[in-house]
Amino acid sequence: MMRSRILSVLSACLVAATVAAGCGADVAPGSMVPVRPAERPLPGGVKLDPEVPKENKDNDCGDPTASLAPSGTSVPSGSTMDEIRKRGRLIAGVDQNTYLFGFRNPTTGELEGFDIDIVREIAERLLGDRSKVQFKALPASQRIDALKDGSVDLVAYTMTVTCERRKDVEFSSVYFESGQRILVAKGSDYKKVSDLGNKPVCAPAESTSLTNLAKEDPPPDLIAVDDLADCLLLLQQRQVEAVSTDDSILAGMAKQDPSVHVVGEQFSKEPYAIGIPKGNTDMVRYVNAVLDDIRNDEWDQLYGKWLEPVLGPAQPPAPKYR
Amino acid sequence: MAITVQRAVEDVSSPTVPASPVSPSRPPRVRRRNALTRAWGWTPGRLALIMAGLLGLMAVLGFVTVTTANTKSDATWELAEQHEPTAADVQRLYRALSEADATAASTFLAAQNASIELRKRYEDDIAVAGPTIGLAAVDRAGDPRVAREIEVIGRQVPVYAGLVEAARANNLQGLPIGAAYLREASHLMRTEILPAAERLYDIQTERVAQERDDAMRFPYLAAGLLLITLIALVATQIYLWRSFGRRLNVGMLIATGALVVGLIWSSVAFVLHASNAQSAEPERVAALAQARITALQARANELLTLVARGNGAQYEEQFDKLTTELAGKDGSSGTLATAREGAEGEVAAALANTAGATRSWLEGYREVRELDNNGRYDEAVERAVTEGATGSTAPAFAQLDAGLERALAASRDQFVDDIVAAARSLTLLTTGWAVLTVVAAGGVAYGLRQRLREYR
Repeated sequence: MMRSRILSVLSACLVAATVAAGCGADVAPGSMVPVRPAERPLPGGVKLDPEVPKENKDNDCGDPTASLAPSGTSVPSGSTMDEIRKRGRLIAGVDQNTYLFGFRNPTTGELEGFDIDIVREIAERLLGDRSKVQFKALPASQRIDALKDGSVDLVAYTMTVTCERRKDVEFSSVYFESGQRILVAKGSDYKKVSDLGNKPVCAPAESTSLTNLAKEDPPPDLIAVDDLADCLLLLQQRQVEAVSTDDSILAGMAKQDPSVHVVGEQFSKEPYAIGIPKGNTDMVRYVNAVLDDIRNDEWDQLYGKWLEPVLGPAQPPAPKYR
Repeated sequence: MAITVQRAVEDVSSPTVPASPVSPSRPPRVRRRNALTRAWGWTPGRLALIMAGLLGLMAVLGFVTVTTANTKSDATWELAEQHEPTAADVQRLYRALSEADATAASTFLAAQNASIELRKRYEDDIAVAGPTIGLAAVDRAGDPRVAREIEVIGRQVPVYAGLVEAARANNLQGLPIGAAYLREASHLMRTEILPAAERLYDIQTERVAQERDDAMRFPYLAAGLLLITLIALVATQIYLWRSFGRRLNVGMLIATGALVVGLIWSSVAFVLHASNAQSAEPERVAALAQARITALQARANELLTLVARGNGAQYEEQFDKLTTELAGKDGSSGTLATAREGAEGEVAAALANTAGATRSWLEGYREVRELDNNGRYDEAVERAVTEGATGSTAPAFAQLDAGLERALAASRDQFVDDIVAAARSLTLLTTGWAVLTVVAAGGVAYGLRQRLREYR
């Protein structure tokens, strides 16, 4: 009797102890390192809320693409061309950052591209040698200045003819019709610029590309970069949904990355011409004669070599003269 | 005094409980005071009290001096063996990451002609990051500032390395997008990783300076106790002399002698310690490290002006800013010149031709810019990256960097030598004080017991 009571008290104690030992807060398996998603780095100088340049209404020069009529490929003594011949080399201001137009082949160190080939064709006709060219690689902001101070004979640099630029320099006839389009990832649903409302889209800073994009309704979320290559980088890292600027430049990007392509219609006109220092009208006429030649002869071959694989077939633009 | 207290107690207790002598809680205390007072009034008792007091003082003195000497010695050795190396390792990380930025640009520009050594140097620089932040984490586990910088470096260095490889792969295929990746990588390095590495280095440098100042601090507690003990010993001897008329008590003399030896020994040791620690200037090492890192960052900017191909105005500005910091506007002032002025011995020898190297580097840079600005990009690149080409900036910079590296190593040697010398001056002082206080206590016990025995 006594024994069983002791036993029951003991077992009650045991139960109480077991319960007490299990007391205290519950602890779930924890972690000492807070896990945060990786941060994607941005290139330097990216502007997330860029200033959009005002549209330039300054069209008082009529058709800016109308150049001076060619006057044959003869070189009278005392002319600008004669001076270049005496010097023995053509000095050309070019781009070295735009793939397919003017870029430096890292394996050879040589400048290559559509613009570079146009310059070489001019050298071939003027000096009889494609290699007699001194290329001056310029940043885009220096193109007009280099022509103004006469440190180059011409500039072949994806340069759009505008009335504003016309005030400072001469332009040849148009040798390439570019226009703004969009570059998107293959497999994405974006087919035209209006599909990109409220989506992050990259464009060069302070460019008319930004102005054109801002006109869309609803407009895309604009992201501007100082260096165009940063746009492709942002698209490759999927930090933007699209890149939008001249299709000639987009072609160079598409060529570097098989997972992206150029889509949609051109929604701006960007006629490219060769810039020549103000006053060198003899040079303008000479270059126009050479360009006429090229349009009839090498243009298709050059276009086929550099741009057709990405942009599809095209015809050389018809020249316009005043 | 004690008697007055006793009376007061009696006065309080008598009106309420006149029959009982005292309340039960109070008597022991009163009685003890009584006993002490009575003992003090009786010569052998007084001697016993003095002996107990002196022995107690001796025990405290022994504990304090041994702990002080031990702490100081340990702290000084730790400075030489742990804090300075950790700071140097973190500085190496900061330097390695700055160098990675420069070598990545250099191998990029040279493309397929890039030397395998340069490529390896880049990889070694990146490999330094992981173990170093691990070390810093272990060294300063509790410091939230350290944890923050380590997190930045730990998270971003792999991203950086990935971008550099993307740049390299694209570049080798002839795709201009490679340059964009390299610029993005460099931007990440400059805006996130390097500032974090710099802050981490500043924290460690600050710590070395602080530990050194701590080690040099005067041991007030130990010195004060020693002084009190010596006064007590002398006072006891005067008392003995007056009461017993004997001039010399051998035991007491031994005790006093031991403490005087300790005082002289400690004074010499601490003066040596302080003067050695004083001449070890962590600021000097830090200044040289900073000069070397500034030079590396300027070099990275020089190369990035070329990677940017005509859009490198920001890098040019940075280069000008950094080289002005390094060599001043005239090319012969700035941090380099400051480092040269105060330098001695090997450091001075290593710095001797850095002035010339800097000058030819800056001249070379101006020629590179000239070439690039005139559209002669190829020649500019060759001038900038080819080792051994005439007028090339690469060998001039290499010479500057090597000079700074040697100066930095020599300066670290000097610093550690001084700290080790400081630590050595404290060698045996811990054991010394343990022995000396035991001897002094023995002397006290022996000397006073002789007097006590006369009363048996």
